[in-house]
Parts: sequence; structure tokens; C-alpha cells
Amino acid sequence: MTTKLAVNLPELQERARRQWDDLKHGDQPILWVGVGTCGLAAGAAKALTAAREELAAHGIEARIVPVGCIGACYLEPMLDIEEPGGPRVCYAEVTPEKARLIVQSHLVEGQPRPDLALGTVGEVEAPGIPRLFDLPMFAPQVRIVTRNLGLINPEEIGHYIADGGYGALQRALGMDPVAVIKEVEKSGLRGRGGGGFPTGRKWRSGREAHGEPKYVICNGDEGDPGAFMDRSVMEANPHAVIEGMMIGAYAIGSHQGFIYVRNEYPLAVVRLTKALEDARKHGLLGDNILGTEFSFDVRISRGGGAFVCGESTALMASLEGRPGEPRAKYVHTVEVGLHGQPTVLNNVETWANVPLIIARGGAWFASIGTEKSKGTKVFSLVGKVRNTGLVEVPMGMTLREIVFDIGGGIPDDKAFKAVQTGGPSGGCIPAQFLDTPVDFDRLTELGSMMGSGGLIVMDEDTCMVNVARYFLEFLQKESCGKCTVCREGVSQMLFLLNRICAGEGREGDVEVLLDLCELLENAALCGLGTTACNPVRSTINYFRGEYDEHIREKHCPAHECRGLFRYEIVAEKCRGCMACLKECPQGAISGERRKPHTIDQEKCVHCGLCFAACRFDSIAKV
Amino acid sequence: MALTIDGKQVEATPGQTVLEAARAAGIDIPTLCYHPAVTPYGACRVCLVEVSVRGRRRLVTSCCYPASDGLEVFTDSEKVRRARKGVVELLLARAPESARLRALATSMGIGEPRFPSVTHGERDCILCGLCVAVCREVMGAAAIAFVDRGVERVVATPFREGSEACIACGACAAICPMGSIEVRESETEVEIAPFKNRRPALRCQKCGKVIAAAPFGERLQERLGEKLTLAVMTCPECKRKATAVVVKKTGAVGGAWSHARPRQGKHV
Amino acid sequence: MEIEIARPDYDAATKVVIERYGRDPGFLIPMLQDLQNDFGYVPREAMEMVAEVLHIPLSQCYAVATFYTSISLVPRGRHLITLCLGTVCYLKGAREIGESIQRLLNVAFGGTTDDRLFTFQPVNCLGACALAPVMMIDDEYFDKVKLRQIPDILAKYSAQEKRGDY
Repeated sequence: MTTKLAVNLPELQERARRQWDDLKHGDQPILWVGVGTCGLAAGAAKALTAAREELAAHGIEARIVPVGCIGACYLEPMLDIEEPGGPRVCYAEVTPEKARLIVQSHLVEGQPRPDLALGTVGEVEAPGIPRLFDLPMFAPQVRIVTRNLGLINPEEIGHYIADGGYGALQRALGMDPVAVIKEVEKSGLRGRGGGGFPTGRKWRSGREAHGEPKYVICNGDEGDPGAFMDRSVMEANPHAVIEGMMIGAYAIGSHQGFIYVRNEYPLAVVRLTKALEDARKHGLLGDNILGTEFSFDVRISRGGGAFVCGESTALMASLEGRPGEPRAKYVHTVEVGLHGQPTVLNNVETWANVPLIIARGGAWFASIGTEKSKGTKVFSLVGKVRNTGLVEVPMGMTLREIVFDIGGGIPDDKAFKAVQTGGPSGGCIPAQFLDTPVDFDRLTELGSMMGSGGLIVMDEDTCMVNVARYFLEFLQKESCGKCTVCREGVSQMLFLLNRICAGEGREGDVEVLLDLCELLENAALCGLGTTACNPVRSTINYFRGEYDEHIREKHCPAHECRGLFRYEIVAEKCRGCMACLKECPQGAISGERRKPHTIDQEKCVHCGLCFAACRFDSIAKV
Repeated sequence: MALTIDGKQVEATPGQTVLEAARAAGIDIPTLCYHPAVTPYGACRVCLVEVSVRGRRRLVTSCCYPASDGLEVFTDSEKVRRARKGVVELLLARAPESARLRALATSMGIGEPRFPSVTHGERDCILCGLCVAVCREVMGAAAIAFVDRGVERVVATPFREGSEACIACGACAAICPMGSIEVRESETEVEIAPFKNRRPALRCQKCGKVIAAAPFGERLQERLGEKLTLAVMTCPECKRKATAVVVKKTGAVGGAWSHARPRQGKHV
Repeated sequence: MEIEIARPDYDAATKVVIERYGRDPGFLIPMLQDLQNDFGYVPREAMEMVAEVLHIPLSQCYAVATFYTSISLVPRGRHLITLCLGTVCYLKGAREIGESIQRLLNVAFGGTTDDRLFTFQPVNCLGACALAPVMMIDDEYFDKVKLRQIPDILAKYSAQEKRGDY
């Protein structure tokens, strides 16, 4: 048994603050490296190696602090340099070459590089470099859940404690469990996984449910494509999730928690595992936490690659070693959940909000947001938008502000077409609703839903019928197959959409789709089935013209559906380089060098290889 | 406790589902994947009814929905009829040859099938799960289970080979609402087709006819004890012969009724 | 001369995995995944042992193994290509990339090439949407992938094979 280092939080805090001070005010420069999944995917490891080599070459010793995603994911890899007493300068899109340049310039020559820098982080400023959080992408954000992301080392519990971490837990342990629940109720926190169910009410039901043991579960199965908020929080600030779960467990009377992480997030599993180990070592997890009678521990389990396991009853089936089949929720899982016991399941972001609610009070949380949707929401702003990444905004901010102010608008001068929220359970929202304040109920009214927070921006080149088809294809693959309505209904809808996108749609197909939507919504067994109607219905409602053009004219106005538009070479632009000619598998392009080429439409199979090959923008989609 | 079904007051006991309460009161709700011997599953969606709770109406599967005091249930509302029709149409698309489904469809006034077959149900299997449930929960063998997922989902044995856990009792065939599972007997084996579960056969100790699969017989012996071995090991015909009062050469049992001495009952 | 083919010791490895999760049948999925990490797939013998030791019906183990896409009951290729087909990657051309890989390697989604070099397993979202389209080969990430990069990326692995560096 490992000897616990201390069970006294003030002692831990003191030690943590000294450790942080040592780091910030030591005599070595600090290299803060973004090594969340985004950073690694973009090449952070190579950049760091180059930086290390450069440091070694100049005999400079620096402290390397790995951090998670700060949110500007499209600018990864990010490398921050902080000299003792100096500003922490954040450099973006750091290639190995740039890394060498930065080390050379900033550390060897003592000259930060405003031309390569994104912004400064922290109080100390640098001439010619703006403050990172003043930039248009960051300024409108209200960073509560994401406040630590990119600023602390997620594998260093001391960093979390120095920032006040586990203070809320201590506070909660000194309160009556019911008082803890009251505080969460006062905050108005609603589930961040998509359902938006009032968290306080769920906890109250959990407390009142009969049966021992009781469980708390963290749903880390973020399956919506386009959403990675939970991944980022688990990777960059795992302790916030753990602390939240502990407070919830104390409130309902549970001593065992589970974190269910989807299989595609191995780094999150690593970070959470380390965080749990550290928490145990510091007496913050296990028996008699912080010297009280409260005992609690957490086990991590992994998903197997099934979107449906984001549904609470399917997740619990998975935790029981069974296939992820949902069951009807006529009896709620707070009463009969994991292993038939009372279970409170909440999303990663929901848990991560809890410590601050207890620390600063429910009233503080309720002062942010709208009347029925309190607090903030973390979104992954992605797709056809300039500043793609993680953003946290107060509920009530408009879609326009998010997409255009924070997101920087649509790249390549393209026109905005729609924003898709809620993943495969959500819908597409067109331009006329851009001024809608984002909150649970408003998004549902528009035929979409908040979902877990994926916000996918689409432009004029996106075919909305194909979007519906894509989501139905996804749902068909992910349907567990248990209930007739989802398994067969989704397949029937997909069949129709495939036909429409192939130019074989018939008059009346749209009406059949709408009928199936009604059936799914009313009769499916679980949320995957009942919300499968949203992508179809919202696109039919708002983009009916596209459906009609596909069916009646066999033409795709967005030029996306193969065979429903033509490729034509624009003679005035064509340089006659023959690149497209060589690519064409059908020999459908003819032309001599330096003379405009032509495509024989009879032979063309619409594969698009010529379009991809043309470097002179000379092939148009018509 | 009392609930209202289609305006009629119906008694229910705690723990009952709406379907159980309805059936007890003689109210008919169609089902496919429900059977009183196993846990309700809620997969086929045929038993949908509309319930009203705190003014809010929604469709639920009556086989799983708990009966409660004061609950209002509608088994034949417009919403229910539309949904049930849609469900049966989807099932028909999957298993268009099924006589059982066609009969159900006709009784609901469904004419020509609206949906083409886009998924394929082997031998009319509608994935109701009754065979899996009875094998696991009732017979304790768990030889078959749902394999793969979504439209690929099928009932199968591990590795799609004959399962050693199967005792070839035939419960799956008996419970299947679609007649999709067959028990085939040959001279030497009992086979549960389509699972390729073949087990050696037990033969009647009197006449040699196949009576059951050996593992099934073994299980029965364990349960009932040595004394009843003979009863297990004879075919139905030999059983009748062994228990008959009078056996004529023609094989008919009993002869003239007036000569038969009744073993039980109050009158001759 | 008889060549003895070493049979992997499933028993020992399986015992380790079962104990790692405290013999808890609720952790069947992580157990199967760990076995897959050890052997590249879940061998039948290993699964049968898990079923026996934990008193789980073999049919349940098989149901679990076939339900979850991350678990494979057949040996996989030496390199796993994970292509993200999430919404954002799809909008940015992942579908064409997927088709290109299928064509170049003559392999279907979820399949393994004849020479067992690659298994091609598309997934629904890797969570790196800002860097779409995203692909992984084993642990290596490829971000903002262009269609025309695919032949070269794949060729790198074939060349590695030829040289004998695994």
C-alpha cells in the first residue's frame, strides 16, 4: 500500500504553490508544448525534438512542460517560450524548422519573434505581440471549463491544486450532501452531453433512490463526429472531471465511480489514469478522503467502437460486459442503472463544471447564460470556418457571433450555408437563423439540438441532401439493430437518400422520408433512433429546393453528388498542361499541349480526378 | 391499483406491465417479441400504446411500461394506429414471405407493402430475441446470441459452428413466432437448424425411435432423478402403450369406453 | 528436418489480462482489447479461456466481440490504417481518400490486404476535427491529408517491408 503523502489540503496547496512558483520564477526558461491529440496530430513531437536539439546545441537548459489544447487547434503545433520573469509567448504552427528559429531567436538572442507569435499568455506582456486572450478568436469567450486548458500540465496534480483544485471538494465534504445538491440545483446546470436534463434534479433522484451500492459514471464516449470538447477536457484537465465526480458521489451517497472513455481516445485514458494515480497518492481518492469518512474510487473502462454506447443504458450494458444495446427508460437509470443499482451518469463537461459551482456558488453560475440555459457551453467549431478549434461561450451568444466573430467567418470567400449542431442527432440551421441565441431550447425549436457541442459550419459547396445521406449512413452503421423501427427505418431512409443522390429519386420520395421521420421520432426505442429524423427533417424543411432539384432535374446545385453535375474545362483558363488528361481513367479528355482541352461528357464517369489534378483552377463544376 | 385503458378501468398489481394488466382484463394488444416466460425486450415495437402522463402523451411499448395507479392508456388512438402500421410495414419489408406478418398486416388493414426490401431477414427472422432469451434465461444454455450489429445482426452460435452448450431441447423452435427455427430429427441426431447444432439422439428403449437429443435427456435425468429414467427414455407412443389400460393388437388404446376403469375423476 | 512453429502462449497472456481487471466480467471489453494488443487480434483460444474463467457464456463473449468494431477475431495486417470518416473529415474529402485507399490496396472497408501488410479500418471520429482530413497509420498521425499524398504515404510502408524494417 502506498503511503499517502498528506491528507491535509492546505499542506498540499502550500506545496503546490511553491512548486508552481519554482517553475515560473526559477532560473530556467520554460518551453510549454501543446501535446494534446491535436498538437500531436499536427506534428508537435517533431517540433519538440527540433527545439530540444537546438537547445542542446547552445547548451541551454530549459524546463519542458507538456500541456493540452488551448483551443486554437487549427494553429497547432503550439510552442510557448517563457523566460524567467519574461512574457510567455505563444508561437503557432511550429514546424521543426520554425522551432529551431524560435529557440535561436527568443532564447539564444533574447529576441521574441512577433512575426511568428500568436500572442502572450499571462500578465507579462511583450512589445508588438498582442495578448492571446484578446485576439478575436478568444476575446468573446468565457472560459470556465476550459480555463486551465493549455495552461497547466495535466500530468502534474500540483498545477491543478495550485490553481485552487480540490478546494471545492474540501468545501463540499464540509457541507451536508443535500446542501451540495441544492447548490447544483440553484446553478441551473443542465446536462452537457446533449439531453440538457437538469443535473441537480438528477442528483436529487439519485440521492432518493433506494439501494446500495450507488454508482456515478462519467460518459466520455463522445461519439458525435466533429465534437472533441470532452476529449480535450479529459486530456488537458482530467482533475476537474475527477473532482466533479467526487462531489457528485458524495452528494448522492456513492463510493464507486466509472469513467467510460471511447476507444478512439487513448491519450485521454493515459491522462485520466495518471490523474487517478496521483489523486490516490495524495489522499484525494480512496478511503477516508481528506481525513473524512467519505470513501470513493474510480475505475476507467474503454468503449469498443460503438457510437450507441454514448446512450446511457447502452453504456451501462457495455460496463457490464455486454453488447451496447439500450433498453427502454421507462424506469430511469437513477433508480435502476448499472448492475440494476441507482446510478447517476453525467457527461464529461457536466462533471467539469461542478467544482467551480461549489467553489463560487450556484448563484454565480446562474448569473451566466440565458433564463433556462445557465452557464457556458464548450463547442468544437469546425468545418468551413477559419478559426477551427475549441471555444467556450456563455449560453445566449448568437450563432453569428460564434461563427463570424470567434470563428472568423468562411474561408476562400465562400458563402455561409448552414451550421450543423448535435451531430447525427441534430439538424442543420440555415443563415436566416444566425441571430439565434444558442441555448438548449432555442436549438430544439429550430429542429436541431444542442447535442454534445459539435458545431459544423457548411458553405455553398455543401450539398444538404448529401449531408442527410451521410448522417443516415453513419446511423445505419452505428445502430445496434435491436429495434425494428431504427434498424429498418433508418435503412429505408438511407435507401431513398442514396437513390436521390444518385439521380434516381422519384416524386413522392420526400413525403415518404417525412413519414419515416415521424415513425422514428415516435416509435424508436432509444435516442439514436428517435433523433435520426433530425438531419433529414431539418434539411427538408430548410433546403427543400435542393431535394426537388435532385429529384426533378437530376441535378445537384452544390455540385457535390457525383453524376448530378458536369465537369467542364474553362477554355480561357486552361493552360493545356495535360495534367487532367493523364489522370482521366476513361480517356475522356482530349487536347494538345498548350491548347485548351475538352472533356467528352459521354465518356466522363464523374470521378473528379481531373478536377483534383488541375493546378490552374480551369475546371468548373456546372 | 387501477389504470384506465381505452376509457375502461383496469385493475393491476404492483410490478405488472401495461400489457400484462391489459391481457388480464381481456384487452387485446398485438405482440411479436413478447412471451410471458422471458424478460420483456421491447424490440419489435408492435405492442406500442399511447400513455398520458402529466398531460403529456407519448408512445411506449406496453410490454415494458410499468402499470401505475391512475395511468391513462390508449391502445387504438390515431397515433398508435399510424405507428403500428409503420412498424408492420417495416417488418414486412424485411420478411415479405412471412404468413404470420401477412396475417397481422391484413388484420390491420394494410394492403400493398409500401417499402421495398432493403434489408434481408434470413428465414423470416425478425430479430425478436425470443430464442436467445429462452435459451439463456429459461433453459440456462446460452448457446445462441445476437451477433454483429445493426442491419448485419443475426442470431447465431459462437463462430457460427455447432455449439457445445446447446442441449437441443427445441425451446427456441417452440417459442419462435415466425416458424423460423426447425428441429430436425434423423436416425442418429437431433439438429437445430439453422444453427447447425447437432447432438446425438436418444432413442426409445422400447422401439428405438428418436425421442430427444442426448444432452437434453441428460439434463432431464439430472433434474428428475434416476427413478424416472424409463419415462424419459420412451417415445410418446410407447409411453401411451405403457400406461394404457387396455391395449389391442391394432394399437388403439382403451378399447370400448365402458370397460375402461378411470383412475381419477368423479364419474365414469 | 522438421521446423517447429512456436505456438503463441495464449494461456499465460490471457491469465495476465484476466487478473489485470480483477476477474471482473464487467471489464470483458477492455480484456478483449488488451488481448488484441498482445496478439493483433483476439484468438479463439484466448476468448474461450476468458469465458471459462469468468463464467461468462461463450455466446456472450462472441456477441461482444462481433458487436464492437474495435475488436477483431481475425489476424490483422501489420499496419492498421485508421481513416477518419467523421463529418468534418467527410466534408473535406475523406470519402475520396477512402476510395483511393480501397483502390490502391485492393481492400474493402474493414478488410486486410492479401499480403497482410495493411488492415483498413475507417472510424467515425478521431476527435482532431480542426486538422481534417485526419488519418492514422498505427500510432502515426497524418493531418490535413491531400488525396494526392496517399500513394506516397502507402508506398513508404511497402518500401519498409521490402527492406525488412518492421
